[in-house]
Order: sequence, then structure tokens, then C-alpha cells
Amino acid sequence: MPPRLRASHLSASVSYISVRPQSIAQPARTARDFSQSSCRLVTQRRRKFYEWLNGPGRPLKQPIPGSTNYLGAYDKYGNLVRAGSVPEKTSDKDKEAEAKAKAKAKAGITEGQQTADEATAEGQESLEKLDEALRQQAKEEQAEKKKKTDEQQLSPETMEDLRPFPLNKFFRSQPVLSEELREAIYQFVVKEGKPVPLASITFGVSNERIGAVVRLKQMEKQWIAQGKTLAMPYSKAVLEMLPTTPYIDTSLPKNAGKRPIVHEPINDLIVHPATRQQLFVPVAESRQFTRVDAGKAFDNNLLPADERIPHPELVKVVRDEVTGYSKEERRALAEQRYLEAMEKKKKAEEAKKREELETKRTVPQRRWDFVFRDVSVEHAGRNGRDPRGVGWRYGLPHQDRKKGQVKIPTKVEA
Amino acid sequence: MRKKPRFHSLKKLKVRQDWSRWSLYSIAQLRPPNVTTKTYFQQKWTAKSDTRAYHGEQIREKKWKRMFRRSLPAVVPMDHNYLARYDGSEQAAGRGAGADQQEKQRTPPQTPYMQMTYYPIERRLDTAIFRALFASSVRQARQFVVHGLVKVNGKKMPYPGYLLNPGDMFQVEPSSVMFATGAPKKRSSTARKVAKEKAAERASAREEAPAPRNPNQDAATTAAPKREEPTPKELKEHMQSLMLDVENVLNEDVGAKDKQKFRAFRQTVRKAVSLWSKATPETVSTLDSQFAFLKGALNERRAAQTAAPAEEEATPMFSPEDQKKLRQAFEKLKLETEHTSAWNKRDARAPYATPWRPRDYMPAFAFIPRYLEVNQNICAAVYLRHPVARPGLAEVPTPFNHETGQLAFNWYLRNR
Repeated sequence: MPPRLRASHLSASVSYISVRPQSIAQPARTARDFSQSSCRLVTQRRRKFYEWLNGPGRPLKQPIPGSTNYLGAYDKYGNLVRAGSVPEKTSDKDKEAEAKAKAKAKAGITEGQQTADEATAEGQESLEKLDEALRQQAKEEQAEKKKKTDEQQLSPETMEDLRPFPLNKFFRSQPVLSEELREAIYQFVVKEGKPVPLASITFGVSNERIGAVVRLKQMEKQWIAQGKTLAMPYSKAVLEMLPTTPYIDTSLPKNAGKRPIVHEPINDLIVHPATRQQLFVPVAESRQFTRVDAGKAFDNNLLPADERIPHPELVKVVRDEVTGYSKEERRALAEQRYLEAMEKKKKAEEAKKREELETKRTVPQRRWDFVFRDVSVEHAGRNGRDPRGVGWRYGLPHQDRKKGQVKIPTKVEA
Repeated sequence: MRKKPRFHSLKKLKVRQDWSRWSLYSIAQLRPPNVTTKTYFQQKWTAKSDTRAYHGEQIREKKWKRMFRRSLPAVVPMDHNYLARYDGSEQAAGRGAGADQQEKQRTPPQTPYMQMTYYPIERRLDTAIFRALFASSVRQARQFVVHGLVKVNGKKMPYPGYLLNPGDMFQVEPSSVMFATGAPKKRSSTARKVAKEKAAERASAREEAPAPRNPNQDAATTAAPKREEPTPKELKEHMQSLMLDVENVLNEDVGAKDKQKFRAFRQTVRKAVSLWSKATPETVSTLDSQFAFLKGALNERRAAQTAAPAEEEATPMFSPEDQKKLRQAFEKLKLETEHTSAWNKRDARAPYATPWRPRDYMPAFAFIPRYLEVNQNICAAVYLRHPVARPGLAEVPTPFNHETGQLAFNWYLRNR
């Protein structure tokens, strides 16, 4: 590790100022007028506070242009740690990663295009690789910049630099989607009409986030059409302060052979409460004890991981590959599966609608419609408090005036 | 009665959920808990009091105790390649007959469950607004909610304790967000003058008592007359005016001061769209859809024409170059909107320092956790899911050490 330099290139803003600031200059009093105790301690605390603010805390006051500015990036004297380290000197690990990335890129070129279902974004395998991919990208950008302008630049942030709370090593500021990536996702889903799971796989963004991005972007465009004022200065400033996932347009010639950068792991398996306990199940050594059996051992209704992850179709595609199907066959199979799933979903929805029509009878009136639904006495439940129960039940007072009953709505229809 | 302690006290340093210099100082002064000289009860008490001063300090302790859950959510990222190639039996297979592994498996990083103690609080509306960087403190976010500046799924939500459900979208008034996150305004002579003018206006408005309006009249004016299919002649006139406006707009420089032409163009587009009665305003709400709708409607028209060539010269059509021009005009309109909002000029009426700049110490607190997806342009965010722990990472932002978190969790387990 290179020595931490006290006087960095940001010396004007970073350097430690030991001069007592003007703001606390007060007439020195040994005690308050009516108090016996000295107020030496209070002033000492305040002095220390202002000393810290004007010394180590000074660089945190304003954002660093083009970079994040968190407490974790500074040492206790207020020096930016990564400003002192020399960016050219890469560690062995980094070199390895670079070599790997190069090999990967080459492989990508030789392999040619992959099928749509297969094309997973780079670094999908694990969390560390994901971070690595991001940092790799930052490094490349950095190198490009250096080629362009030979001025001194800050090296990209490491994990420690992204910690707003230095004491909590399990939390760091994670990148958000950049504006271009949001626009690209919107175009992909709305303009080209591609399904959400496909967008999730190609951009390396989780399903829910894709939906949210599209919804927000739609609203933004509505605002533009209506001529409302957007919070542009705020948006620019905030996105500059945060780490962002850049968008790599693979259709451009300069990005040939690259894959889009993964924003987050898309195949997150939720830890099921039934699997929290430790279980000892004696199994014969000759028996093939698979994931499905393990799930059954915890809970009879627990599905295996391959069906509980958000993208089970990815597993099926790889399984086809292992079985030895050709690329076209794999693609056809994946499409067929997708169509079947959509068909099934459609049928279920229709059945639900039909059932509702059958059970619900509407009598239109002048102002209001009367709606009749089938009701059962059993709906009130065993304690008579089930929300599906209808009407006043004798001897059962309402609880809404009781202490501790919350009347805040629990959901808002979208 | 005992005096209420200071919110930011240098005597008892507490980290608070805001972007103040005191919070920053106390985060910098935080130390891991002292476990050598204190009893276990004391350790838990200190941990609880420190963490509660940060997490949901505005919530009463009893209420938080009811929210506390001992089961903490977590996820494990899965690799689809592994799942496809192995069925898991290799992990259960016997180790006999020399089947020992040569290389030792790397242990995955620890899942920090104990940093997730306060995850139910992150679901509250006021906390989510603070986490989305729309307010500079939770108390300010709470005030925004109470003052009716916040909408959830497009409806006003005045309860700061509303628990967001996955998929809920909340939006805050952009001017309030700019006020909350911008540098505070310094008092100046112009500001004072503006304030005086405003007060005078208000006073005069109060003096002229507003006449009660006739509700019947209102209803008559708001009831829109039913539209019929536009006649070809009408269409032609409209298209001509639209194209004229396109010329005007394209000649205009975006940065120019007068925006009347842009507004007029938007009006003509609205008119052209409303000529076709079937289109509801909801379906053509964005610029892109307006353009697509105009084009589609014209194409329909064209198809009808080929069937009936008699009225060919009556209806206008867009040539490809005209279409291109129109598209350009739309793009320019979009750019213009962005530009006007980016146009960060001095404005004495704004409640924040203009030109807008982020407030002091904001970058040290600027992070957006992954369970939120935020669009800063419209100051809206979606609560995607509840925060989770994953190997090596906890999504609840907390400034405390994991040992402190553990002690606080143990305090609420109630076996003390």
C-alpha cells in the first residue's frame, strides 16, 4: 500500500486547518454567573466540534465534481485516501481481472451473437464479480480520459470510498441507474415492446426495477408534454453525487464485443422462513438427495431454488444447452415456453373474470349501481372479525374506537 | 418537568437522520461499543438508545416495539448456471473412499442480519422520502407529508406513518424538494421587497371579497360539447396551421427567451389531437404518443382516401420530410422543457438560494438504497420491495457498528 500523503493535490480544500475559527471566539469566562461549576468543558466540546468541521470535515461540505464524496473516503486527518494512491500501480488481482476481461471480450467477439435468452450481462455470477465489472468499467473510462486530457484525475472509488458510515462495513452506497440507461430501458420495453423479463436479463436490472423505471419515465414524459417544470438542477446535482451504472450501447461500433454492465443481481432467492432452522436428516449414502428433497425436508410445500428465483427460464435455457440442443432449437424451445406461459396466464385471468361475472350481479340505477355478491356466514371467520364478513353481528362491538387501533390506510390503489 | 434535551447536543453525541453538520460530526466520532467495562444490560441499553436516536426517533417507543419483528428478511443471489448443471446431490454425496475435496471452498461473506433490526421503519412514508433524497431530514419529510405535499400512487397521503407496499409510487412537490435540498436563502433587500409585495397583494385580495360563483354556470362551461368526426376541410386547415407552427418552432433557437411559440405549438398539437374524438387525453398524454397518434390517424385517413379517390385533394397528408420536420419539432419541444427547468436563474421569489445549489454537507449523506427506484426529474420514487440482507451487505442504512446493531436487536428480544 502506498503511503498516505498528507498534502494531496486538493491541498487548498483538504489541508488541515488548526487555527481556531472566528465563530467561537468568546470572552473567556471561567464560570457562569450563577453557577459554581466551570464551563470549561462545554467550550472545549464546542471548540473540538468547530476544529473538526474546519479541519477534517471541511472537504465534505461541497461535492467533488464528477465523484462521490463520503466520509469513508477520508482518513482521520481529512485527507482523501485515494488521491494519495497512484492509479497506475495496479495490484496483481486487478491485473488478473483485466486479463480475464480482455479474454472475455475476445471470446465474446469470436462467439458472435448469442441468442436473446442467453445474452446475460457481464458479471452476473456473483456479487463480487458484479462489483468488479463496475470497477473495471470505471477504470477503462479513467484510462480513456487520461488519454484525452493529461491532467490529474481522481482514481475511481473503491468499496471503502463508497462508505458513508465508516463504522458500518456492511453498508455502502450502491450505484443507481444513469439517465441514459433509464431512457434505454424505456425505449426497449415501450417502443420495441419487448417483455420485461428479457429487459431484465439484457440490462442486468431486476424485474421490479424495470417496471418502476418504465412507470417513472412515462410520467416524466407526460410532464414534458404538459409543459411542467422538471427539477433539473436538483437531478443533475444528485446524479453527480451518486455512483451510477453507465449505459453501454452495444449497437455502437466502439462498444463491439462489450456487454452491458450489470446493475444488480437479478436471480435473488428469498430466504424462506422454513429454511431458517438447522436440520439433521439422515440419508443413505447411496441415495441421490437433491435440492428438491432438501426442500421437502424443510417444508412439504417448499419448491426448489430453480423455480423460486425470478428468472427460472434462464436455468431451463442452460439445461437445454447441457442436454446438447443446437442454438436454433434452444431458441425455439425458449420461445415456445414463453408463449405457453403467457397463454396460461391469460387463461387464468379470463377464468377469474368469468367467475366474477357469474358470482356478481349488477343492477344499474340512475345514479348508483346495485351490486350483489354471494356471501356466506362462514366468511366472518371464527372470531367474527374477518374483513370479508358482512353486516352487523349481534354482540360484537366494533373495535375502531379502541386504543391502539390504527386508521391509516394500509394500501392505495394505483 | 425535566427540560427536554437538545436535539443536537455536543454533550451527548447522537446521530440523527438529517444532513446537518452535527450529524456528520457524530458519525465521525462514533466508536464501536465498549464491551469490557460495562455489563451486558448496560451495553444493550446504550446500543438501544444510540440506535433509536437515529432510527425512527419521531416514533414513540411503544409504537416501535409493536413494529419490531424478530424475523429478518434476507436473500441469496443464485447462479443460474450452477442451478442448471447441478441438482444439489453433490453436496449431500458421501465423502468416503477418498472423495475429499482438494481445494478448500471459499466461505461466502457473512450475511449481516443484525444490521437489519430497524427494517420495518424503512417502510414508513416519511423515512422513504428521506432515503430518496427528497428531504434533508426525516422530520422535514414528515412535515411535507402532513402539509399535503406528498402523493402516493397519485393520491394525496397525509399520514407520515403510512407503510409503503412494494410497488407504491410516491411523489413530492418538486419546489419543496428543491427547497429542502438546496442551500438556504440569505436575507437580502430584494427578498424583503418581494415579501412585502406579496403581503400587500394578499391584503388587497382579502379586501376584495370574492363573489360566490354560480355552480350551474360552471357545470355548463365544463361540460364539453360532443365532437364529431372532423371534416376534411377542417383537417386541412388544422394541418396547415400545424405545419406553419412547425416552421416557426424549428426556426426558433431553444435558448431564446420567448417561449410563447413553443406554447402555441403545444396548443395546436392539442387541438389537432382533440380533432379525433375517439382519442381520450389519457392515451395521448406523452409527446411521443401524441406524435404516434397524429401519424396513425393520418395513415387511417390515407387508407380511406385510396378507397374513395374523389376527396383526394381535399385532405392534406404528411410527406416524409414533413413528418421528419414534425418529429424534429417534437424533439425540440422536449429539449425546450428540459432547458427551461435547467435554466437555473436568479429568482427572488424562490424559497431557496438561487441559482440552486445543493446544501452544505449534502454529498456526505447522498446515497439511495436499492429498495427504492428514484426519478429525480419529477421527484418521484417507487418502493420496490422491503429492504433485505444479502451476503456481505445490509440494505438498511445505519451508521452503527454491527455489534451495536446486535446489542440493539437483543434489547428488543425482551429477554433482558
